[in-house]
Order: sequence, then structure tokens, then C-alpha cells
Amino acid sequence: CFLHWCLELALSRSTPEGLTFYHMDLYESKGRLEIFPEEPAGRGDGALGETSEESTGPGEDFRSSDQSAYDLEKEVDELTKLYGLDEDKEIDQELLGVAEQELPGKDSQDESQPLHSARAYDELHNHASSKEELRSDDRQDEQNIQPNSEEEAADIYCATCKIPIRAFDKLFGDHKDHEVTQLANAVESAKEEIQKNMCKLEEQVTEMENFASHLEEIFITVEENFGRQEQNFEMHYNEVMQTLTQRYEEKVEGLGEEKKQKLEALYGQLVSCGENLDTCKELMETIQELCKDKEKADFIKAAIPVVDRLGEFLKKDMDLELSTLPDFEDRVIDFSDVQQLMDSINTIAAPSAPVINPQAPNSATGTSVRVCWGLFSDDTVEFYQLYYKQVSDDTPSEEQAAPSPPIIKRKESRSCENGALVCWESGNMNPVDSYTVELSKLTNGENGDIITDSLINPNLDPAPALQPSVSLCLHYLMQFLGAETNKLQPFCSLVGTYFYLNEDTAHPLLSVLEDGLTIACSEIENLECDLSFRDNGFTRCIAILGSMIPFQGKHYWEVEVDENMEYRVGVAFENTHRHGYLGANSSSWCMRHIVTPARHKYEFLHSGTTPDIRITIPPKRIGILLDYDNWKLSFFNLDIAQHLYTFNSHFQHYVHPCFALEKPGLLRIRNGIAMPTSITLL
Amino acid sequence: MALKQISSNKCFEGFQKVFEHDSIELKCKMRFGIYLPPKAEIGKCPVLYWLSGLTCTEQNFITKSGFHQAAAEHGLIVVAPDTSPRGCNIEGEDESWDFGTGAGFYVDATEEPWKTNYRMYSYIKDELPKLIKANFPADSERMSIFGHSMGGHGALILALKNPGKYKSVSAFAPICNPVQCPWGKKAFGGYLGSDLTKWEAYDATHLVKSYPDSHLDILIDQGKDDQFLSAGQLLPDNFIAACTERKIPVVFRLQQGYDHSYFFIATFVNDHIRHHAKYLNA
Repeated sequence: CFLHWCLELALSRSTPEGLTFYHMDLYESKGRLEIFPEEPAGRGDGALGETSEESTGPGEDFRSSDQSAYDLEKEVDELTKLYGLDEDKEIDQELLGVAEQELPGKDSQDESQPLHSARAYDELHNHASSKEELRSDDRQDEQNIQPNSEEEAADIYCATCKIPIRAFDKLFGDHKDHEVTQLANAVESAKEEIQKNMCKLEEQVTEMENFASHLEEIFITVEENFGRQEQNFEMHYNEVMQTLTQRYEEKVEGLGEEKKQKLEALYGQLVSCGENLDTCKELMETIQELCKDKEKADFIKAAIPVVDRLGEFLKKDMDLELSTLPDFEDRVIDFSDVQQLMDSINTIAAPSAPVINPQAPNSATGTSVRVCWGLFSDDTVEFYQLYYKQVSDDTPSEEQAAPSPPIIKRKESRSCENGALVCWESGNMNPVDSYTVELSKLTNGENGDIITDSLINPNLDPAPALQPSVSLCLHYLMQFLGAETNKLQPFCSLVGTYFYLNEDTAHPLLSVLEDGLTIACSEIENLECDLSFRDNGFTRCIAILGSMIPFQGKHYWEVEVDENMEYRVGVAFENTHRHGYLGANSSSWCMRHIVTPARHKYEFLHSGTTPDIRITIPPKRIGILLDYDNWKLSFFNLDIAQHLYTFNSHFQHYVHPCFALEKPGLLRIRNGIAMPTSITLL
Repeated sequence: MALKQISSNKCFEGFQKVFEHDSIELKCKMRFGIYLPPKAEIGKCPVLYWLSGLTCTEQNFITKSGFHQAAAEHGLIVVAPDTSPRGCNIEGEDESWDFGTGAGFYVDATEEPWKTNYRMYSYIKDELPKLIKANFPADSERMSIFGHSMGGHGALILALKNPGKYKSVSAFAPICNPVQCPWGKKAFGGYLGSDLTKWEAYDATHLVKSYPDSHLDILIDQGKDDQFLSAGQLLPDNFIAACTERKIPVVFRLQQGYDHSYFFIATFVNDHIRHHAKYLNA
């Protein structure tokens, strides 16, 4: 390819435009785009001559490459005949040699010629690599086509003459004293030789290919560097031009001012001159009038004031000197700072000082500190040097006590297999900068490996995903003036989903028993007005909401009821109507059981409707599976592992488990338990 | 027994095939459809038998119900036999659509001229499973059964008469109490004669009353707008009452707006496949 490029240069001497570029697809597909599409000639070789087939569309490229492929064949055939060779690799070199000789003479000819050479080289090289063996054999055969082949076949090899000979010739002929080896061996070593050289050739090819692609990169880099320099110059010269323009304008303005002043002065003079002239003329007229024949008495009367006036006037100083000179003062333009600018064109601005980011909380330990700073992208910085010095160890004047550890709110914290929500109270009067929560696996009551990174946020965030079936040990850490307090508190189990019952939402007749998970409905009194309704509580449906389940994935809990209990169990949104009944609106889904004289009746309520479903065995233990990912809420009879019903509903928000009783009785809830395997299959 | 493949179509990466064989019980050539899920290429799969209803052949279920995706997903072989012996040249077999050809009622007939050929009960219970086990990668320990209408009746009675043989059973609009409905009376009268005790042996509602254990999970879907329901041919209430009494687990779903057709079957077939898969893949 390097060779090829030289060819192009040689050719381009015929065109005064200077360097033209061509696309370097020696070994690539023919449809590749030009490197520098702005080149007016399109393809570099277009500068050399015009042919009808030359145009810049890719379609045309293909056509001309087909053309070139066809031409190639013809050329190859020609050359084959010319040299009496058959698929020999030497054609490659021959062809190029030919091209080299032919082209300068043909510069007005079909410009696709050099391309053909490229193609030829391309094609034949491909031939070369695939028909390696064949070619070496061919060469061998070639060597075998010797004058003495018309006689008996040669069977040994004369190393001295480097030809195959018959054994007979060795013993009795010219080759008597020559060194001989077995033909087979000679063949072998010749093949080896060729192999080696082939390999070398291939290496060379690879090298040249690499060089070609390297050159490509350099092309691009040159462009980039050019761009950058151009920009730099533009910027600087603009500055200089601006400064010069400014100076010019200032001076011209000054000049203008001066002119104005001068003209005004002169004008003033002119005006006063004119006035004097007028006065003069007027006086003269008066005198002339006066001197006309008049009565002596009249004459004297008029003449005296005139004489006075004249006298006065003549006393006046006629300033006939120019008040201003027509010349302008010289102005000197100060080019010193422009000179400075010019000189600074090639200087690179010192990089701006980095901006140190404020220290992030928890980015320091007892022995290390993390410093972050911002760079300016325009700067080219070789390295930074970071220095530190220790601030004095003296205790600060302000005494600040180490903060007390936070108080974990067990009740309000929640967990499930996929996450945990940890709530705590600060326990400090002063605001705390940050908290660090580290979660570690509890093994045999000792501190296990820390399984997650710490999260730092005074605001509450749900903890990151945790392994299920792991007992969490909450280990918290606070840093303040280097003081650390560690305390371990076992937190909760991560098996299953845990939630608590929110008594704020309970209907007055519904009470939560001491275990926190059993609800009871008291006897329904006659008068509703005796009941004290809670602000956030249900007023009609004797219901209660559990805490929200704010984690993705599947959640499972169970309910135990007596066969004759009338209940509703399911899920509801936070904002479900407190005056409504569970399942009667679009914000709640529940399974309802009532007992009629004829039979047990089951309803699966949502938006007030239910499918018509008969269940022959009344469930006593009901499994409830909430699947946020698949938008399902399923109910099961756990005693017989029977699937009862599934709501398919795209829950737009996180939901709360909900429970209601329709007549006095108990309902027991179990949560934080694993889903039974019979359920998992569904 | 030699099987002759009649057709094979790739479906959901498995194959829906139809075979023909000479049946010993029925003494005629019988066809059945069999769906082999992709998993069948690797190992043995459980088998789910589908029994079609009146007038159907082995084609209706495999072309209309859309069960293949669920079967492929759960790795179940689904076998769909014909609904009666064919071409036996019995006089009167083609006279009505609810008796004779296409209306085998899954009984072993005791009356002439039916008793030689009309032995669909034994065919489904014994011959077909043996054939499937011998020729296909079927796990003979795990099979379930379901069907529609007359086939629903067949599924229920086969499960109830053979406790433990089927892991699960389900039905679409089954004829639950044939001794009480016109269809049943006609068929049983013809195949079984006038002895009512023989009839009860093939009546799901009756069989339930004496079913020994309750390890059976029955799912039934019934279209609410099913003309045969309102015509008193199906009588699910009787069956449910008997199951409630006997504490047999049933979930019976009355589906608003649905009729007796394969459109109804297609809507809920996935639920049924999943129901069976739960037990077959356990």
C-alpha cells in the first residue's frame, strides 16, 4: 500500500493541485467511503482524468469495481500468457512492476488503472493465501520443467547444480562429483524454504497492513491537530485584531474631537469677524450719509456720536490672529500590548487551579481521607500534587459532645426477602451530619462478614437488596470528630415478608390483640355514635390495614380462621375509602366469606364485583400471595394446597394487606414466613 | 402395537402429531392426537389426557383450543383420542349426533350391537396409556385427565373410578349427572340397557358419594351462557353439592358470558394446564 501511495504521488505530479488523497481500501470492501469527503474531486484519482464511469456515488463505485474485476481478469490472462505462468504468486510483483512502468505514460488514460492494480494485488494475494500449497508445488513443478524432462524421470537431486537428476547421471554423468540427496528430501527442504519465505511474506503483508491502518490514524490526527492549531490562531489573531481595531477607533475619535474644536474656534472667529465687518460697513455708511450736504447744525449733532462710535470702534482690538492652528497634534499608537499578544500566541495558558469538592460525608476514616476535585476540560494537566497538613490537635473552643446512638423503631421497620426498611429516631438534640448503616450477617451471635456497602443518608432509604433467610444484624456507625461508637443490635429476620397492623386505621369495633397479629371483632353494639372513630380509621367496614409493602417481588402471608367466620382478607391502597367496604371499590381487592343457610359463599371482590365461584371445602388456613412483578394476588386453601382464585391486576401503587371481620370472632395472621413449596409451583 | 403417523406439525418448538393404530378394545382403527413438548426430546414427560365432547374427533382439540403454548411451557405431553370407535358399520351408529358415532360416552357398552366396539372406558383407562408408554417418552407414573362436556364427564368418571391413577382432574362444562339429563338417559339406555345401577357406575355425581379419599383437586369451568346448562344437560349444582357433602375439593367457576364452544375452552385452557402442571410437575 505504501508503494501504491507513491504511485499516486507520482501520477499527481501531472496535476498541479498538490497532494490528492485516495481511499485506502486495499484489503477491505469496495464500498467504503472516502476519508476526506470534502475533497472536491471525490475520489482522488478522479483528478487524473475523466471517464464516463467516474462518479462519486456508491452505486457507481460498485459498478466500476465490477468493471475493474472484469478488467482484472483480462489483465491477469494477458499477463499469464505473457509470462507463460499459471497462477504464480510472482504475478503480483510482475503486475505491479508492469503498472509502474506503464502508468506514467498513460496519465490521460483510464484512471481506474491504478485501482485495477490494487484490485489485482488484492485478488491475487487472496489467491496466494488460499492456494499456498498449490503454488509451492507449482513452483516445484516449474523447476521440474527442465530441458532434460523428455528423458526418464529424475529420481535424485543434485545439490551442487540445484537440479533433479537421474541416479544414472550421478554415477556416470556430469554430476559425478557433485553432492546429491534424495529427491524427496530435496523436495522437503525446498518446501520448507518456501514455507518460511511464505511466512515472512505474510508477516510483511501484515506489517504493511498495520502500517496502512496506522497511516490512516495519522491522517486523522493530522486533521485534528490542524483543527486545534487553526482554532488557536483564530482565537489569538481575533484578539489582536480586536485590540487594534479598538485603538484605531479611539484615535480616530480623538482626532475627530480635535477637528471639531478647531473648527468651532475658527468659526467663532469668523463670526466675530463678520460682526466687526458689519459694524465697519455700517459706520462707513453712516458717515457717508452724514457727509452728504446737510445743515451745519444737523451735521454736528449727528457727527459727534458717530465720531465717538468710530473712536470706540477703532480702539477695539482687532484680533486678526488665528485662534487655532490648522495642524493636528501627532498621535502615537501604542502597540506594546498588541506586541505582547502577538508574542503570546504560542504560549499555553497555565492550567486553572482545580476546584476541590466539599468533603463528602463519611469519606474519611481514622487513617485516610478522600479528596475529590474538578478539572477544566480545556486544560492539559500532566499531574496533580496534593498536599495536606494537619490542623492543630488542640481541642476546639466549642465543646461538642459525641452524638448519642439512634433509637431503632422496631415496630415501624419492615422487611421482606428482598429488602428492609429501617426506621430510627435520631436521639440527638443537634442535627446529625450523617448516618452510616452497615449490615452484616449474624453468625453464631458474632459479627459476620459485612454483606453490603454502607448507605449514608439522613433521609430514609430502603436498604439495598439482601440475601433472603439471613438474620440481619444492624451495626451502625457514626463519625464525628473522629469519635466512633459501635453497637450491635439484632434486627429482624429476612425470611418472608413482615408487616405490622396499623391501629390508626382500625374500626372502633376491631381490636388488635397483644401479639400484634390477631384481630378480634367485638359484639356489635346498637349505637354507632357511641363509637370513637379514629381519624384515619374505617367507619363502616370493621377493617384494619397492615403497613405498606414497599418492596418489589412476591410477598406471602397467611390467615387462620374458623370455618364459620365471616371475613374479608386481601390488599388495599393507602387511600382506600375509609367509609367504604373492602372490595367494594377500585382501591381494594379481597376474598370474602359469608355463611348462608344453604352453603358457604365465597366472593373475590374488586370494584364491587366478584366472579361466580363455588368452593366445596371451606378453607381454614388461607395463603395469600401478592406478586408485584406479575401483577397477581392469589388465594390458596393451605390445608389441601388448593388454589382458590387469582386477581390479575396491575397494582399502580404499593399496597397494604387488609383484614376485616363481618361478625364477632377472631382472625389470626401469620407473616414473616416462607412460602410453602406447593404454592411456589403455581 | 404398530403406530402409523398421520401428520406432524411443529408447534411452540414441540410437535403436534396424529397417529393411527388398530385398537384391540375397539376393534377398529383409531386415531389420536399427541403433543410432544420440547422437553420430551430430553427426557420423559408427564401425560395429560384430553377427552372431547359430542361430535368431536381427535382434531377439534388440537386445532381449536390453543393449548400448545401452555403445554410446551410446562413440559406436558397431551393426548387427545377420538370420541368413539369409527367405521364399525353398526346399524344406527350414525343416526344421531348424541349417540353412536362421536358419542361414545366413555363407557364399556354391555348392550348389543354396541358391546363389541363401544368400549371407550377401557380404551382410555388401559389400552391408550399402555400404547403411549410404549411409543413415547412418557412418565407413566404421572398422568392427569381433563375434558369438555361429554369428555368432562369422561374425565370425572375415570378419575373417580380409579383413585390415585390420575394426579388431577379438571373439566369444561362437564355432564356431571348423566343419569338425570336427557343426553345421559339416551346414551346409557342404549349402551348399558335399563339397569340403573349400571348407569350409576358411570355417573360422576354418584361416584363422588362413595369416593374413598379426598386427594383430588377438581377445577371446573362452566360458561354461564351455555345453552346446554340452561337446558339441564349439565347439572353441575348436583355435583358440587355432592362434593361439598363428601368434602372433595372443587373450585367451580361460572364464567360470565361464555358458551359451550371451543372459544370458551380456549379462554381458560391455560388455567387448566397450569392446574395440572402443579401436580404433574411436583
